[in-house]
Amino acid sequence: MRWRGGAGWALALLPLAFLALAFFWPLADVLRLGLQVDGRWTGDRLSALLADPYVRRLLLFTLDQALLSAAVSLGLGFPLGWLLTRYRFPGKGLVRAFTLVPFVLPSITVALGFILFFGRAGYLNRFLMGAFGLGEPPIRVLYTLWGIVLAHAFYNAPVVARFVNVAWERLDPTLVEAARVLGTGPVRAFLTVTLPLLLPAVLSALALVFVLCFLSFSIPLALGGARYATAEVGVYLFARVYVDFPRAAALATLMLGISLALTYLYLRGGGLFQARAGGVRGQPTVPLLSRNRPIRSLWLGYLFLAALVFLGPIAAVVADSFLRAAPGAGSPTLYWYRLIFSPAWNPFLESSPAGSVETSLVVAAGATVLALALGVAVSWTLHRVRSRALETLLMAPLAVSSVVLGLALLFAFRRPPLAAVGRGPWAIVLAHALIVYPLVVRAIRPLWEGLDPSWVEAARTLGARRLAAFFTVELPLLRGGVLAAGAFAFALSLGEMTAVAMLAGAGVTTMPLAIYHFLSAREFGAASAMATVLIAVTAAAAWAWDRAGARWLGRDHGGR
Amino acid sequence: MRRIVLSLLVLGALGAAAGAEQLVVYTYRSFVKWGPAAAIEEAFEAAHPGVDLVWVAPAGGAEMLSRLIAELASGGSGADVFLGISAMDLPRALAHTVFRPYDPALIPNLAQVPEDLLFDRTGHVVPFDHGYVTFVASDALREDLVPRTFSDLLRPELKEKIILQDPRTSTTGLAFLLWTVARFGEDWTEFWRALLPNTLTITKGWSEAFAMFEAGEAPIVLSYSTDAAYAYITAGSLRYRVLTPDGEAARLVEGMGIVRTSEKADLAHAFLDLVLSREVQELIPTSQWMFPVNREATLPPDFARYAVLPEVPVFLDPAYAAEHLEAWLDQWQQVLGTP
Repeated sequence: MRWRGGAGWALALLPLAFLALAFFWPLADVLRLGLQVDGRWTGDRLSALLADPYVRRLLLFTLDQALLSAAVSLGLGFPLGWLLTRYRFPGKGLVRAFTLVPFVLPSITVALGFILFFGRAGYLNRFLMGAFGLGEPPIRVLYTLWGIVLAHAFYNAPVVARFVNVAWERLDPTLVEAARVLGTGPVRAFLTVTLPLLLPAVLSALALVFVLCFLSFSIPLALGGARYATAEVGVYLFARVYVDFPRAAALATLMLGISLALTYLYLRGGGLFQARAGGVRGQPTVPLLSRNRPIRSLWLGYLFLAALVFLGPIAAVVADSFLRAAPGAGSPTLYWYRLIFSPAWNPFLESSPAGSVETSLVVAAGATVLALALGVAVSWTLHRVRSRALETLLMAPLAVSSVVLGLALLFAFRRPPLAAVGRGPWAIVLAHALIVYPLVVRAIRPLWEGLDPSWVEAARTLGARRLAAFFTVELPLLRGGVLAAGAFAFALSLGEMTAVAMLAGAGVTTMPLAIYHFLSAREFGAASAMATVLIAVTAAAAWAWDRAGARWLGRDHGGR
Repeated sequence: MRRIVLSLLVLGALGAAAGAEQLVVYTYRSFVKWGPAAAIEEAFEAAHPGVDLVWVAPAGGAEMLSRLIAELASGGSGADVFLGISAMDLPRALAHTVFRPYDPALIPNLAQVPEDLLFDRTGHVVPFDHGYVTFVASDALREDLVPRTFSDLLRPELKEKIILQDPRTSTTGLAFLLWTVARFGEDWTEFWRALLPNTLTITKGWSEAFAMFEAGEAPIVLSYSTDAAYAYITAGSLRYRVLTPDGEAARLVEGMGIVRTSEKADLAHAFLDLVLSREVQELIPTSQWMFPVNREATLPPDFARYAVLPEVPVFLDPAYAAEHLEAWLDQWQQVLGTP
């Protein structure tokens, strides 16, 4: 069926043309500025950059914290995966659902939660100092490397848990049973049978966590101060704070190279790490709470620690939004909620708080529409044209960090043709659409595979044009999946701050950026109230995504 | 989907339609959070009916200036006035022609400003307050640990007890950097290296740092010599002690100017004049916690009693500083880079 390929290529031109204008061309600008001096291609800027001890330190720190974050995420996440696989306990469904939360929880709200909960004057330290009569705050993790690592673990331990859980569920339980029958002890059976079989999933999760932490931005920006900046924060500082565009572009070029290499390695490695599908039978589970097996109380210790790390910061944000004393109103109060929905101009935000809520909703709606359009077009193209090269081109934004993408669009929107669109929120809408659509493609692409081609053929036989068949037959059949992906896209766009921080211009303030500004002005009450609202809205969107996903996608949908 | 697109368009149109006459003033965060911004806005809008005074203050002073320079370089800024440029940052602003020259005839209150405070001899920037940047300790710090000299600041007992600010983004941070250069000469990087273990964090702006200090995150902060007066006047407490290591503190004079591209020169001049008026200047001590520049403004007695004047005010020659600043900031970054 040669016409399929031909028509597919022709239709592939549409998303390709769009990406060329909105993605590749702006990105080329970054490379040009990073690699050209006086119109000549050269590595001078890169070598000058690498010769700078400050930049070397940035890169080294970025590497250090990413490795540590991956290790700590494993330490916290593996037991969670174990727990979810092997034990029965009340509230298990809730815990399982919670492992999805970090995918959409805006990172600035997590940073805020860490400051409020783990700060030297935070809830935890104040409680411990009061309870034990201490003169000094005992928990001293914030403002250090460990504060950043712990916040990263908050995000990524659930990722590890999910990988471990999924892989473990697929293991054939008869292997362990055979070992036990042959007289192997439970610990030894775990170490020699289960663990080696789980290793591919563990390594795969570690690699993913490493990449995510290597490119982390909001958390080090909010928690690191001047001393603990990652390379991505460095690009932002060079571009937006010190206004040194050539240096920003050079560092962005370097980071682009690194993230492309990491993505390539990850995708290549993914094949090696693929866990073998195993048992037909599910893993046997045992009750967690049992009187005659005291060893399980170890789990209570773990659960306590996990609750502290995972629930503490979020609870601190919600509590603070009501308990932070308001000027002249005391506490508890709804003052902060009135403030964040106020239409009055706020000089810290360069907008009214209500205006930032509105901007967020408008941007997220626009980005969702655009991401869905792109996602449907790209997934359709990839379904019809099997080409590695085309797939790489169409999915390329996946391998580019939000900071680098933001820098590229910052340049692009200063010059024609995009300058004609106006800076405003459009640059952010575009950035979010580019960040999110590859995930939309991943979510709905399998749906094309599941469509029975005879439906389309029937429509064509009855005289429908190809395009009409697409809109009247294929798209309606995919509607549920597209809606689910849309809810996911909406949640991600609402919480995204990296590209926003790179692109924000006068008057364009979204909710995450408003939280960052309130946090920087140390208006904690307002920051907490805004963060609570943002968490609620993204959680609702994530819930819709999960429900719709369970119904329409009918499969496990991880990944960011 | 169509409805979403439509509502997008409608919202966009609404955003563009907002339009009373505005005077946009860029300043730093703490001028709004603490300073007399609200009072100035009220007085200005009362004197100029129909004009909306809009403060824009999402960051610290040096960062706001960087932003203004970037905006002017790429097609223009919405700002009419920039308030909060320190003498240290003036050469950078002049090099990028951020300001237009002011007309002294339109700023009658300028006559009340003493000659020695007029730090810009080129006629672009007028001062609006002055003071001293130094360390401040809270009473959470044990008496025997209170630093009295620079070497006291390096005592191992003060590990992670000091909050500093980034000289690349914050005016106070820059003042401290230049202070260490003035005091230690070539060896200033050595001092910084030794100070880092005692530093809890280095914030981008002063307001984060001071709020952290007030919340009890650390007992020492780089701040202003008026903080004891602040604590006494606002809370009747003597809990903050101003430290002048070896008798020194960094002199800081802050100014304001009219942005080159502003089309509202008359309003902008009126704004400058208002800020220099005796009424606003008398608000400076107990809101901005700095000294006024209008010689007719009287200081509240408690302010005069508790605001500390250092024995040795330190002030680096601006021309010398301007020449070396970039190299110093590079060196400073490298000090940060040494683990």
